[in-house]
Amino acid sequence: MSRPDAIPASAVRSEANTVKPFNRRHFPLDGWEMTLVVLLVLVLVGFSWAAPGFYDGMPDLLSMAENFLPFGFVALGLSLVIFTGGIDLSVSTTASLTAVVVAQLWHGFGMNIWVAAGIGLLLGALLGAINVLVIIRLKIEPLIATLATSFIYGSIATAVAGNAPPSGFPDAFNALGGGALGILPYQLLLFVPLCLGFWLLVARSAYGRKLVMVGYNREVALYSGIRVERILVVAYVLSGVMAAVAGLVLAAYYSAARPDMGDPLLLATLTMVVLGGVSIFGGEGTMLGVILAVFILGFLRQGMMIAGFSDMVTTMVTGAILITSIAVKNLFNKRGTGLGNQLWALLRRPEATGSEPE
Amino acid sequence: MGTKDDIERVLRRRGREVALVGVTLALVVVLGILQPRFVHLENLRFMLLGSVVLSLVALGQTFVIAMRGIDLSVAPLLGLSAMVCGLLAQSQGLPLWIAFALSLGIGVVLGAFNGLLVSALSIPPIVVTLGTYSIYSGFIFIYSQGTQVFSIPAAYGHLGNGYLVPWLPIPIPVLVLLVVLALCSFLLGYTRFGRALLAVGNNDAAAYNAGIPVGGIRIAVYALSGMLASFAGLMFLCYTGSATVTAGTGDHIELQSIAVALVGGTPINGGRGNLIGTVLGSLFLSVVLTALVFLRVPAIWYSAGEGLMILATVQAGLRRHRARDAEAVA
Repeated sequence: MSRPDAIPASAVRSEANTVKPFNRRHFPLDGWEMTLVVLLVLVLVGFSWAAPGFYDGMPDLLSMAENFLPFGFVALGLSLVIFTGGIDLSVSTTASLTAVVVAQLWHGFGMNIWVAAGIGLLLGALLGAINVLVIIRLKIEPLIATLATSFIYGSIATAVAGNAPPSGFPDAFNALGGGALGILPYQLLLFVPLCLGFWLLVARSAYGRKLVMVGYNREVALYSGIRVERILVVAYVLSGVMAAVAGLVLAAYYSAARPDMGDPLLLATLTMVVLGGVSIFGGEGTMLGVILAVFILGFLRQGMMIAGFSDMVTTMVTGAILITSIAVKNLFNKRGTGLGNQLWALLRRPEATGSEPE
Repeated sequence: MGTKDDIERVLRRRGREVALVGVTLALVVVLGILQPRFVHLENLRFMLLGSVVLSLVALGQTFVIAMRGIDLSVAPLLGLSAMVCGLLAQSQGLPLWIAFALSLGIGVVLGAFNGLLVSALSIPPIVVTLGTYSIYSGFIFIYSQGTQVFSIPAAYGHLGNGYLVPWLPIPIPVLVLLVVLALCSFLLGYTRFGRALLAVGNNDAAAYNAGIPVGGIRIAVYALSGMLASFAGLMFLCYTGSATVTAGTGDHIELQSIAVALVGGTPINGGRGNLIGTVLGSLFLSVVLTALVFLRVPAIWYSAGEGLMILATVQAGLRRHRARDAEAVA
């Protein structure tokens, strides 16, 4: 692959492969994260310019976040699971089940709503623990295991909800979904520290290093003495808890709990995590990318709705963005082996057609 | 001795199918004793017919999973094909054979698009089909413009519910399924294409080095899966006589088809495919769901039943494999 008279692309490649004492990034952000920042700016500026009513002052822009932050909570937890190379399809029904159970505890048992919410978080942890137990103890692939538990949780949610799901929570609880402190929505006030926490967990803690290691190569992680199962348990339990948080926030936002409330969460959050640069095979990606992707897709959806596009068109565009972004990322990868890199090299040096584009 | 060995050999090679048939039959017998109406011919026919659409989708899914891929876009493809054919048949009396060609065409083109994205741009299949799931569902909404299919020409209804010949009490869709199953089995087991796709599923790098056109095989397999899902859409239209925008996606048939393929004995890591197991798994699911109706279990528990069924059967399959591996080592 390597040629002595190096073309620019391979020059970058060989430099990246060389270990030098000062071979650090000059810029704090990774290439993909830079792309995401540019995308976010494009979305915000583009809609402010093209869709009248999108930018209506800072408070309005911030309160718009209330519509998509529930997805963000799920995306934070789901990323951990995808870092390990697994997947959690049960996030949507976990959110629904939590919301419904909390609502019934409050309505049927006359429990204080905040105590009920606390129990809801524990329930989320329990559901995540069941997922990971099925995966570890029964040795079933995460995709199948969480597919199955997702069916089961969904049924239980419908059964618990009954014919008339409770609604009309106390105002203090509803504020969690729709209230604001000054111009800052409570959802955002909850989301930002959680983002910080998850970023620290993945990028700055021993757990984070092990998490990515497990996803990168499970066998090697095992042989390096990492307690793989413990890493997995934490990831899935946190995913369950974050899904529960999303369920609570959604219940507060609508001031009602419905057993199908979490259904739209799954595909959208999976899109966010993947767009954020986390490899679906695990072991690659950053929390910062995921957080950026949450805001990109969130503002995009809101902007398109304000511009008068139907929900379905918005979903289609989301799907197209998912595919395009990963395609672009694959076309120009860091190692310079992507089709785009190759074509670029061919354009630069038409005679160098030795390598097979694959 | 000879017969005993034969039985052992069949059990070893065809254990999954034998187990599925056994459990399904046991379920039918037990339910038949509890509720004699369960084994009434009409109900048996209903259960058989109810599994055809899912079987067709799951056969395509089996090919994809055997190649170590996954296809979530089958659900909107089913809905799109049902909607396009249904609306044209309803408003302009589209002849059945054109509808047939049209549905296959839609499936091949959109399925091949999935395959192209997977192979040419090396995007993980779950990401590609998640994206096209949204896009193809959008096509259904755009094409239907909020309308739905509520009446279809008699020829369509005959294909979905009728009998080919009066003296043979097997509905046409079941015959269609058997023909498709035979074609698929031939394709997977007896052609170069089938061997190649299993090789890709086993180890795509090795397959590439062995001279197998990995990209082409991928595109063809996704096209095949799309075609079968789309054809299932036509059968769905003929069987139910209606199509709405949520046909396919509303029932999460993409998840069901994956579940059924896995229950049928196709491993999620690819390299092997069990088409007969897939069809039996789909029949088993249909029997279980009907049994729940007869047992007066509220409808809300059906999907929980599905979930438990997936866990139980996949777990049973793993146990068998581990036992066999241990035997092989010893």
